[in-house]
Amino acid sequence: MVLSQKLHEAFKGTVERITGPRTVSAFKEKGVLSITEFIIAGDNLVSKCPTWSWSTCGSNSTENEIVTTMDLLAGRDLVSIVGNSKWESGEPSKRKSYLPLEKQYLITRNVPCLRRAASVEEEYEAAGGEVLLDNEDNDGWLATHGKPKETKLDEENLPNMETLDINKNNTIKSIPSYFGGEEEEDIPDIGDYNDPDNLVETDAATLQSTYLVAHEPDDDNILKTRTYDVSITYDKYYQTPRVWLTGYDESRMLLQPELVLEDVSQDHARKTVTIEDHPHLYGKHASVHPCRHGAVMKKIIDVLMSHGVEPQVDKYLFLFLKFMASVIPTIEYDYTMDFDLGSSSH
Amino acid sequence: MAEEEHKLQFAPFHSLADEGFWRRLCSLKLDTLGIDQSPIPITGFYAPCSHAQVSNHLTLLSESLPPECDEQSSLASTVIRGNRNRCPVPGILYNTNTLESFHTLDKQSLLKAEAKKIWDDIQSGKAEEESAVLSRFLLISFADLKKWTFHYWFAFPALVLDPPAKLTDLRPASQCFSLEEAESLKAACNEWRKSTGLLGCFCIALVLFIILATIRPLRDWEDCQSACQKVLFGFYDPCHLPNHPGWPLRNFLALISSRWKVEKISFLCYREERGFPNLDISLLGEALVSVSQAWDDPQFIPNAVGWELNKGKKVSRCITLANSMDPTRLAISAA
Repeated sequence: MVLSQKLHEAFKGTVERITGPRTVSAFKEKGVLSITEFIIAGDNLVSKCPTWSWSTCGSNSTENEIVTTMDLLAGRDLVSIVGNSKWESGEPSKRKSYLPLEKQYLITRNVPCLRRAASVEEEYEAAGGEVLLDNEDNDGWLATHGKPKETKLDEENLPNMETLDINKNNTIKSIPSYFGGEEEEDIPDIGDYNDPDNLVETDAATLQSTYLVAHEPDDDNILKTRTYDVSITYDKYYQTPRVWLTGYDESRMLLQPELVLEDVSQDHARKTVTIEDHPHLYGKHASVHPCRHGAVMKKIIDVLMSHGVEPQVDKYLFLFLKFMASVIPTIEYDYTMDFDLGSSSH
Repeated sequence: MAEEEHKLQFAPFHSLADEGFWRRLCSLKLDTLGIDQSPIPITGFYAPCSHAQVSNHLTLLSESLPPECDEQSSLASTVIRGNRNRCPVPGILYNTNTLESFHTLDKQSLLKAEAKKIWDDIQSGKAEEESAVLSRFLLISFADLKKWTFHYWFAFPALVLDPPAKLTDLRPASQCFSLEEAESLKAACNEWRKSTGLLGCFCIALVLFIILATIRPLRDWEDCQSACQKVLFGFYDPCHLPNHPGWPLRNFLALISSRWKVEKISFLCYREERGFPNLDISLLGEALVSVSQAWDDPQFIPNAVGWELNKGKKVSRCITLANSMDPTRLAISAA
């Protein structure tokens, strides 16, 4: 693949849906996307599902300095996790020059996640869980649902970002220092700041309600609503889209990425869903690792073709997001379209 | 319900600041602001409610803060780009140098000052041109750069109608229109969202006779008024609740009432599902607003409320980003 050519195409032909014969064959044969195809598929997603938007890169010079610092500190390890070409260590900007400035990545915000994935899986198993998409390699991708290993989800025990309660039942061990560290004891409890001074606001027209909680009238359980920002970036190395999750708790505070894993199918948590630096946004975010995306997409495309459906590259992201829904079943992002997946659909 | 009059209550607006915003604030403080505590103009983003069970928020992102000084030259050409999922709203940030000064900020006067801006924009007619100024917001913060901890508190100033607005009717919009009217309204909304979709308040001119709904910017109110059978005041409602309109309606009602002296106001809480207008969750309401004589006095400024509650309490919020910013921790987690 001639990069400069792709680059040129990406900049010039973002609106025009040019599909060269060679790129089409890569999509069907390997399930991967060229940059141009990613833009085409993204444009189609944005137009059919308007909750998705393209995002420009909000970064500017000072961000770069932070990124550089982080590169120095964490870069080495990231390289070993995601492979050399994935993390371009020392790259001065989060802006990806191979993508058009206005179309760096796709994002949909404030996507509700009304239930934890683990609890859904229990129900699913009770109903005699089935294979989502068979995978003969049997490498853990989309296998049948095994016994959920960590289903103990006590909502009471969710760490509170504001008071920095250290979750005693924290089963997360992979990053030992994540919640640890004595200096946190210095952080005063927010309750101490119950301002006595100058805030007296009584207003009859303000709705006083605990409505932060989702109301499900027919359900005794009052559900807490987490929301997610779901973004799709283009992974240059694997040549596939890649999904990132930024979670917020029911009071709209940033969820630690570790807690995001509760909303991931437990078969995938910690295996295919990893916590890494977002290529365009700040901080660590949970992401579905794209190393098998191409192969799985290829299978989906094969299934379609065996049913006589000719897959079109601009529909790639709909298929992709449907596939992602098996990894993040409870995050209700939008990927609807009238598209028959054949017998493999549910 | 139609017969019974009761006080119109508005669901408060809520804030969400993403990690990028705090990171940008950090670097802005370190590299540009120093100990300067002058208020900073910021931009928030919001969109109509897009899910029957979840309200939308006012969101702050890294691009909510002004560009760094080395980019000042291009500042004039820097326009905050919104899109249909990100309608820009102007705000102001007071970032203090110490926790003490954060706590001793005079919140009432700050809120009043912002409310006055809204009031002035209503009186000058600016709000009709640029309805986003009706949703002006305020943020106070203290950024503890040593601990990567941020104390903050949002306010969404709302002019208090005196006496309060009375709600005479509120129901799902789908119950109020015939099939044809609903289709026409939805088509008009879609069109509006696609084209000038960034204006959160608008007039809906309904010509019911030939079943035609058109959406016009606020400045066209008088034309609508004279040409149409019915004018609805529509706004992007971030709230999802079936029985309450969202916060942005408050200042909108103040505008309609004080500028155009409309007493019986029909409003549409515009809400979406999956990015398309949904009249089952959108609400159509009717409110009676008759403000006191005092509002006609040019010197008068209505009372204002709007500090965001934190889990029902009047306290500030606090977020720590030490996990992703503290170099020591990053080094340990990377080792």
